Amino acid sequence: MKRQAIAVALAAALFGLGAVGVAHFGGTVVPGLGNAASAQQQVSLASMSEDPGQWVMPSQNYENTRHSALDQITTSNVANLKVAWTMSTGATRGHEGQPLVIGDTMYFQSAYPNHVYAVDLSDYHIKWQYTPKQDPFAVSVACCDLVNRGPGFADGKIIVDALDGQVIALNAQTGRPVWTVKNADPERGQTLTSAPLIIGNRVITGVSGGEFGVRGYVTANDLQTGKQVWRAYSEGPDTDVLIGSSFSGAKGQGTSTWQGDQWKVGGGTTWGWYSYDPKLDLLYYGTGNPGTWNPTQRPGDNKWSMTIFARKPETGQAVWARQMTPHDQWDFDGVNEMILVDLNINGQTVPGLVHFDRNGFAYEVDRRNGKLLLANKFDPSVNWASHIDLQTGRPVLVSAKETHAGVNVTNICPAAMGNKDEQPASYDPQTGYFIVPTNHNCMDYKAFAVKYKSGFPFVGATVKMYPGPGGNRGAVIAYDPTKGEIVWSHPEKFPAWSGTLTTNGGVSFYGTMDGWFKAVDTKTGKDLWKFHTPSGIIGNPISYTHNGKQYVAILSGVGGWAGLGLAAGLTEPTAGLGAVNAAMDLKNYTNLGGDLTVFSL
Amino acid sequence: MIPHFGLRRRALLAAALLSLSVAAPLPGGAAIGGSSSTLRVCADPDYMPYSARNGGGFENKIALAVGRALGEPVTFAWAPMRGPGGFDGFLRETLRAGKCDVLMDVPYASDNLKVTRPYYISSYVFVFPKAKHYDITSMDSPALKNLRIGFEADTPAEMGLKLRALILHADPYEIGDEEGVSPAKILDGVQSGKIAVAVTWEPSIGYFLRQRPDLAVVPVPNSRSQGSPEQYVFPMSMATRPDDGALAAKLERVISQHKAELDAILSAYGVRLYQPPAS
Repeated sequence: MKRQAIAVALAAALFGLGAVGVAHFGGTVVPGLGNAASAQQQVSLASMSEDPGQWVMPSQNYENTRHSALDQITTSNVANLKVAWTMSTGATRGHEGQPLVIGDTMYFQSAYPNHVYAVDLSDYHIKWQYTPKQDPFAVSVACCDLVNRGPGFADGKIIVDALDGQVIALNAQTGRPVWTVKNADPERGQTLTSAPLIIGNRVITGVSGGEFGVRGYVTANDLQTGKQVWRAYSEGPDTDVLIGSSFSGAKGQGTSTWQGDQWKVGGGTTWGWYSYDPKLDLLYYGTGNPGTWNPTQRPGDNKWSMTIFARKPETGQAVWARQMTPHDQWDFDGVNEMILVDLNINGQTVPGLVHFDRNGFAYEVDRRNGKLLLANKFDPSVNWASHIDLQTGRPVLVSAKETHAGVNVTNICPAAMGNKDEQPASYDPQTGYFIVPTNHNCMDYKAFAVKYKSGFPFVGATVKMYPGPGGNRGAVIAYDPTKGEIVWSHPEKFPAWSGTLTTNGGVSFYGTMDGWFKAVDTKTGKDLWKFHTPSGIIGNPISYTHNGKQYVAILSGVGGWAGLGLAAGLTEPTAGLGAVNAAMDLKNYTNLGGDLTVFSL
Repeated sequence: MIPHFGLRRRALLAAALLSLSVAAPLPGGAAIGGSSSTLRVCADPDYMPYSARNGGGFENKIALAVGRALGEPVTFAWAPMRGPGGFDGFLRETLRAGKCDVLMDVPYASDNLKVTRPYYISSYVFVFPKAKHYDITSMDSPALKNLRIGFEADTPAEMGLKLRALILHADPYEIGDEEGVSPAKILDGVQSGKIAVAVTWEPSIGYFLRQRPDLAVVPVPNSRSQGSPEQYVFPMSMATRPDDGALAAKLERVISQHKAELDAILSAYGVRLYQPPAS
């Protein structure tokens, strides 16, 4: 309580604690519009997502394909793409999300302080705006900039995560809160940055804060009341991990793969994207790195950190789990999105799950049971492991790239940011390619054992990141899951930290950290068009129609881990270690600030 | 990381390790002298607020509380932690020499010791005059760029300042290396204006803050903004020799059964308690 009081006092002193609440713009709110909302209730979210004119889920659909079936914008006319309309988000930090389009309304959320807007697409007036009243203490425990990955929608409600741990359901028509719950506590190092996914009557959210020893968990709240239905931890006894009779693997590994009760600070946070297979009724997501940085302090596989989980959304019970990087020594969080597609492997069609992991391998898994089908490198520079053993699922390590306390291990590829971080890939059913935004950095890593200088504890690691072979820090690639091969690679100066969008027009869209929004040919990667937005792009493109016309929208607003040097004003050349070094010259190309830019022919 | 500072200490530590390596290995805990029914605590006679010969430090008070809980008398084996051999020298002369069996306050996961589960969690902090109203909430706060910063050398504070090039306008303190120097010295630096802001381990200075109500204290949050993981919040444990599991288990029981009493002692010494992660 004392700690809480301190945080509040600090907040009052530093931020003025102005309550913001709901603000209405554009005159009257028409209650009669509620009919539209109740009509929407009748239609399942899954069938709504089949309408390419709308964008009703963070990743377009439960399968997370981020593919638009719209085809008005094509490889031959995309050169004529023009700005249709723009709007400021009113926030300056990293925008890692995307808008939703439901009917004639666009909804989007800014980086902290997490403004939420409902914009009428017929005249761009703001139907409502909502800013949650937050505990500003959250700002000081957010690890990698004050990002947000966008709202969710279901049953006439816009569901938003606030950095300080609140999950808020807003009436989509009025912006008024229907319920608010607290799913994370900044006092314990927990924050929320991810986008919620709504499955039936369950609102699924994760947690951030692996840097603080947070024991990761996923929470399901009731869509109507907000009441918590279940919470599944990433480590600990099976009763906490929700491993029971339906689980296919060995029991008890959430404690047996740790020394003593280290699982209590086990990490395995859950800040990535969520996907869902309605037929199998399984929720999929990945967990982050183990809580203690120094691997020598936590012997064992450290399950279920770095793991793909499949759970029943109704109960949270785990059905299968596949750990990718046991006993992580490099900080390769496993939270990246799981994309659900049919895979054609060895002549057989399998309901697949494809996951481009931070560790540089593209995991192709049978999503019914977690069986590993293929796991090839999606960046040739990966050198910490020679390959993934398809029988055991374990990486075959390269001993020279293992980290040890007191040893400076050089030229580990990829760097801690991974060959890909949270920036989501898309799947194009026409070519069968995944269009994957990637990072291409390597690192030197030196870990230190815990030591005690009389009266003063110390532990740490120094990480120096630098561009990988070829000198480019990122690339957008096309990946063929059938062959497990890169088809084309489009190098980028900076890490490609925006999501991608594929379309039936044969055009793929993505943004760059230096502010370009680009269209390329999905088949070849050839540049077709580009536009320079007000800030670097780490958000994710979407497409929708209004009055029958196709639009493409993107949030710009650089930041995030890769852009933090700029976001936090860390630009001294001598601050040359780690992330700042990897993107230090970003300031010569762009500036902070959140904006929505929407394009049409 | 090659610290710019504390080279002198490093040389001494190397010497200490060298002499340790030629020392004969010691037989296990209870066999060496003393009665197994006495709680024999290793402690510094002159390092407030941690420990003092008159029993005035919080480690002493914690030890007495543990003794009461176990129904055992408490004895102290005194040696300076900040002597020429540093903390390793202290261990060599006390715990490893069999003169005592328990350390009251070491970081969780320390090597070559049997540590208990943590009984408190504390943090490195920024300290500056309240009147200045500096906007400092993390190592990345822009306000730090223009301020003279005092820090304890060879700690996470030094690493955090180096990563951001803030070390160029920062002054090292070596309180953990210098016998007889009070941790309040860095607070004197802030109050005299020699430094604008101090970065140090809160348990070392919380005790002195009561007499210095003009100072503001802000925890340093963990960070990875520079790519390197930076830890400023540490769980702290009691410890025994590695082969003394039975004693460690007894201490564990006290920690789980007498948490409130231990918390109260720490709070009385201005050791702010941070909550353990959710479980």
